[in-house]
Amino acid sequence: MDEKNVKCPQCGKIITCTGNPGEIVNVTCPSCNTLGKVTFDRVISIENAAIEVHNLRKEYGDLIAVNNISFAVRKGEVFAFLGPNGAGKTTTVEMIESIRETTNGEIKIFDKVIKTSFDEVKELIGILPQEFHSFERLTVRETLEFFSKLFKRRANIDDILTGMDLEDQKDKLYMNLSGGLKQRVGVAIALVNNPEIVFLDEPTTGLDPKARREVWEFIANLRNQGKTVFLTTHYMEEAEYLADHIAIIHKGNIIAEGTLDELINKYGQGTILHVRNCKDRNASNILKENDFDVSISGDSDLAIKIDNKERVLEILSLLRHECIEYDSIDIRRSNLEEVFLHLTGARLSEEI
Amino acid sequence: MRLEIIIASFISDLKTFVRSKGTLFWTLLFPVMLILIFGAIFSGMDETEIEIQVLDLDNSQFSYQLLDVFNETGLIEVIKAEISTEDKVLSYIQDNDLKRFLVIPHGYGETLIPPVDPNASVNLTFYYDQSEQNSNQIIRNVISNVIQSMNMGFAGGSNVIGIDDVKTISGDFGFIDFFLPGMIGFTIMQTCIYGSLERNTKFRKDGILRKLLTTPITRSEWIFSKMLFQLFLSFLSAILIIIIGILIFGLNINITFLMIVIVIATSFLFTGMGMVIGRFVKDEESASMAGGAVTFPMMFLAGTFFELEMMPEFLQTFARILPLYYVNEGLRNAMIYLKTEDAIYHSLIVLIFAAVFFIGGILLTKWRED
Repeated sequence: MDEKNVKCPQCGKIITCTGNPGEIVNVTCPSCNTLGKVTFDRVISIENAAIEVHNLRKEYGDLIAVNNISFAVRKGEVFAFLGPNGAGKTTTVEMIESIRETTNGEIKIFDKVIKTSFDEVKELIGILPQEFHSFERLTVRETLEFFSKLFKRRANIDDILTGMDLEDQKDKLYMNLSGGLKQRVGVAIALVNNPEIVFLDEPTTGLDPKARREVWEFIANLRNQGKTVFLTTHYMEEAEYLADHIAIIHKGNIIAEGTLDELINKYGQGTILHVRNCKDRNASNILKENDFDVSISGDSDLAIKIDNKERVLEILSLLRHECIEYDSIDIRRSNLEEVFLHLTGARLSEEI
Repeated sequence: MRLEIIIASFISDLKTFVRSKGTLFWTLLFPVMLILIFGAIFSGMDETEIEIQVLDLDNSQFSYQLLDVFNETGLIEVIKAEISTEDKVLSYIQDNDLKRFLVIPHGYGETLIPPVDPNASVNLTFYYDQSEQNSNQIIRNVISNVIQSMNMGFAGGSNVIGIDDVKTISGDFGFIDFFLPGMIGFTIMQTCIYGSLERNTKFRKDGILRKLLTTPITRSEWIFSKMLFQLFLSFLSAILIIIIGILIFGLNINITFLMIVIVIATSFLFTGMGMVIGRFVKDEESASMAGGAVTFPMMFLAGTFFELEMMPEFLQTFARILPLYYVNEGLRNAMIYLKTEDAIYHSLIVLIFAAVFFIGGILLTKWRED
C-alpha cells in the first residue's frame, strides 16, 4: 500500500489517502464532501531493466487503447505480451518502438528516454513489425545486406543465415518463400545489427503449426544468445513455451503479470493430480489428514492440488500404503487459458 | 546524409526494377509500343494518295512519260510546281509547307534517247521533310521502283537514271515530332506517380516504412535515394524513347539543357504528386485507382497524343491547368522546335509545379503512425 497526500480542489484541505500502485481510488474530502479520484502511479523499477514503461497511455478520440500501463523487461529475458486481438499489444509495442505517438507516459530503453534519445537506441534494437513483408524481388541475402547497411553496428550476414537456418534459401527471392520462411527472414532482418533487444510483434500469426514451432525454436535461440526478446502474441502456447515473464493485456490494461508459474499458481488451479474411480470412499479423508488439498469430482474421482513435485510421490506411496484401489492417475497443470478465463470471464481463444 | 545508405537503396531499387517484368513493360516497352503504333498510324494517315509537286525542267516526252508512270501507280498524285527554276526550290517548299518535292533536270530526255550510253547518268532530285518519315519512305520506294523499270527499259539495266536525296528544313513538324516529347512526359508521369504510390501504400501495408523508422536511415536519405532512382528511370525511358525516335522515325532531336531541366523537374513533380495521392489512400487497390484517375485524363487532355487545338474550348482551358501540358510543351520546344523562349517559360511553370507538389508531398507523407 502506498500513501499519498492530495489537496482538495474546493477547500484546499490536505487529504491522506492510501492505495496500491496502478490503482485509482475514490476520495471524499472530510471537510467539504467534494468527491474526487486519486491515481497511484504504477512505478515499476527493476535492476538490469532493458525496457521500462511508466503510465503509458494511448487515446484515439474517446477510445482508450492503452490505459496507463507500466511494466519493465529484464535484460536477457523473453517477455511475452499476451492478449487477444484489439487488446492494445501492437499499439503498446509500436509506442515503445517509437513508430506510434504516445498520448502520455514515459518509455526508457537501456535507461534512455526514447522520446528524446530514440536515435541513440536504434542501433541497439531489432524489430519485426506485425505482418511484415520485405522487398519482394530481393533475395534473402540481398535483403539482409540492404538492412545491414542501414546500421553502423553490423552482424555477420553469414552467421545470421546459419543461425536462422536460411543458408539454402539465401539466393531465393523473398516473394518465392513460404510464410514460415518469410517470418524467419523477418526475424533475421531484425538481427542484422546484432541488437540487444529484439521486438517481435506477432511473429507466428498466420503460420501453420509446424512453421510456428520452427519460429519458436529460433526465438528460443535468441534468448540462449543473451538477447532480450519482447514478444507480442495472442497464442497462449507461444507465451507458455517461450516466455520467462508474461504480461496479460486486456482492453488496454495489464490485468496480470509474472512468470508462468506465478500466474498459474495465483490465478489458475495450479497442478492437479486426478485419481480416477477411486474404490475407497475414505480416501479423501486419509489424504486430507495428510495435509493434501483434496476435492471430490463426480462419484469417485479425486482432485488433489500439487504445489511441488515431491508431493506426487507422497500421494502415490500413501495410496499404496493404505491399499486404496483406483483405475488411473493423471496430472494436469493449469494453463494460461484458465488464467485468462479466471481474470476476464472469457476464453482467450474465443476473443481472438 | 550517408552515401552508403543511398547507394544501397538505389541498388536494391535497381534489382527490384530489373526483376519485375510488369514494371519493365510499363516503364520501357509500353511507351516504345505506343510510339511505334501511334507513329505508324498517324505519320502517314493524312494522305491516302500521296501528293508530290514536280518541277519538270526537262519538259520532254520522256519526262512526261515518267510522270504518267508515277500517276499510274495509284500511290502518287503528281502536281506541277508553280516555279520554273531549281534555285528557288527550297524557299518554294518552305513557303508552301511541302513535305516532298521532285525535280527532273534538264537533259533527262536527251540522256534516254537511243542508243543510250550505259555510262551516262542523269539524277532526279528528291526533296523531303524528315518529320513525314512514313509517307516519304513510300514515295521514295515508288520513285526508286519506277526508275529501276526505266533503267531496264531504256538502258538494259544500267543505272543511267538515279536519285539525289535532299532533306528539307520545314517549319511544320510531323505527328511523331509532336508525339515523342509527349511520350517522354507521359512515361515520366506514369513511372513517378506509380513508383511513389507503391512506396507510400505497399511499403506502408507491408510494414517496410515502420521497419525503416526503427533503423538509422533518415527520412531525407530515404526520399533522396528514391528520387535518385526515379531520376535514373526518367532519363532511361527518355533516352530509350529518343533512340526509337531517331532510329525508327529519323527524328532530328536536340538534347538541350532545358530538356534536361524539364526531365528532372518532371520527375520531382510527379513523384511529389504520387506522395500527395498516397497520403489520402490506404491500400494498393485504391492507390492504383487514384493513380489512374489522375494520370488517365491528364494523358488525353494535356496534349500528349494530339494538339490542344483539336479539343473543345472548355477542355483546352482545363488542359492549361494540367502540369503535364507544360511538360509536353516544354519538351517539344526544347527538343524539337528549338523555341528557347517558350521552352524557358514552360520550364519555369514545370519547376513551380514541381516545387509545390514535391514539398507538399514531403510535408504530407508521414512515416510515424498517429
